[in-house]
Amino acid sequence: MEIDREDGRTPNQLRPLACSRNILHRPHGSASWSQGDTKVLAAVYGPKAGTKKNENAEKACFEVIWKPKTGQIGKVEKEYEMIMKRTIQSICVLTVNPNTTTSVIIQVVHDDGSLLPCAINAACAALVDAGIPMKHLAVAICCCLADNGYLVLDPNKLEEKKMTAFAYLVFPNTTLSVLPEGSSVAEGEPVEHGIITSVTHGVMSVDDYFLCVENGRAATASLSAFFRKNFQQSQKDSSKAG
Amino acid sequence: MDGRLSNKWRVTVNESKFVESALQSELRVDGRGLYDYRKLTIKFGKEYGSSEVQLGQTHVMAFVTAQLVQPYKDRPNEGSFSIFTEFSPMADPSFEPVHPGESAVELGRIIDRALRESRVVDTESLCVFAGKLVWNLVDAANIAALAALLTFRRPDCTVGGENSQEVIIHPPEEREPLPLIIHHLPIAFTFGFFNKGSILVMDPTVVEEAVMSGRMTVTVNANGDICAIQKPGEEGVNQSVILHCLRLASSRAAATTKIIREAVEAYNRERSSQKVIRHHTLAKSEVLGPIEVV
Repeated sequence: MEIDREDGRTPNQLRPLACSRNILHRPHGSASWSQGDTKVLAAVYGPKAGTKKNENAEKACFEVIWKPKTGQIGKVEKEYEMIMKRTIQSICVLTVNPNTTTSVIIQVVHDDGSLLPCAINAACAALVDAGIPMKHLAVAICCCLADNGYLVLDPNKLEEKKMTAFAYLVFPNTTLSVLPEGSSVAEGEPVEHGIITSVTHGVMSVDDYFLCVENGRAATASLSAFFRKNFQQSQKDSSKAG
Repeated sequence: MDGRLSNKWRVTVNESKFVESALQSELRVDGRGLYDYRKLTIKFGKEYGSSEVQLGQTHVMAFVTAQLVQPYKDRPNEGSFSIFTEFSPMADPSFEPVHPGESAVELGRIIDRALRESRVVDTESLCVFAGKLVWNLVDAANIAALAALLTFRRPDCTVGGENSQEVIIHPPEEREPLPLIIHHLPIAFTFGFFNKGSILVMDPTVVEEAVMSGRMTVTVNANGDICAIQKPGEEGVNQSVILHCLRLASSRAAATTKIIREAVEAYNRERSSQKVIRHHTLAKSEVLGPIEVV
């Protein structure tokens, strides 16, 4: 039995994506990412001298500042900051600019469900816009479990409230390669099958979790394609202008 | 973290000399006339009461929220109105993320004083986020706040319940939310003084702000009333210069008010046309709730 979603999407269908980069004048990189009505703005200020006290000075350091739409900064925002910081640290090349701090500032413009994945995608786009060296992109998606056991991707706010459990998953992007075995292999499994970050809320069984991971990974293919298309298009525009 | 201060952007001596010498021949660095305003665009968000204003390269976002609370005992018929301003580190890396600096507080106070005259009946709290760029935030923030207030709709509530003492707040799906009653629109204009008050510039950019020797913000409305004036110390200027500023500001107020009202009208029209097509047509799904055609 197919589950009917209010806005007419199928369970595995994502909301319309929109990404625009280089929208702000002063930050070194900026991007706005929207999935349906959820919109997040990200800005990156490139490597600045010095790291914070507890950080390793042999490597580059990242700091994330999360600004909610209204209200004071609380524990939820601090948690998001920490998750994003660890995610960004794992995708960026830390040895290129040792003893520097790169700031990523996230501003929530509108929250209509699936906020953290949207923010991670926005941060990735902003990091690309700033030219920060990265190993690969982080593609984030939210999967949730309805009470009748059905899996739904990219929920909006109303759907999120009705769900029993949901998981935010971040995967590396799918690689496009000329060689048939192009994707780098680590211990027999392709790298893109790894999970960078996983945050779950609510109770779900182990099988359901693996099902979420499968569906999420399948969806990252279309997200990666969107990223790629978006970046290539703006490259063509800037090469025409230059 | 002294790292933050060392990364602060500072005007170079060359830049400041260039700006000053250009002004001597009545030229501004970005090609505007001395009294020209930058291009103003107003956009609205998905929710009621959210706006984003762009004045040149300055972006300001404003959100309006409302809560029902007990009124002050000496003013039982009035609600209250408060403004929170925040400078996001997105605008300038030297801004602290949590602690509002002096300029943020000053900005909040200027807008607060200007807007107190437009009295509103229920309690409101208005959050203004000044972000993205620091080129003359006061004017942009003021317009953002006004635009947000004009488009805000508060939920309708009726007095009912058992003892007819309870207030029931109706969710927007049941009853159309109500707009705020705004009496007039005070618009802020900022002026910069150079060269001991002999050169006057309207709507200074961030480079000009760093170079100028004095500033003044005048808030007027379209009726020609002066709502607030703020001149925070610095260089002294002649009275005639101040009167000149006031005249310039009131001549521009009508035009800016018209821009704001037009943007709000367009937004309201779009909103009401969207309401008619609220639900997607699916063969199997049921239409939830009645659709009101306005």
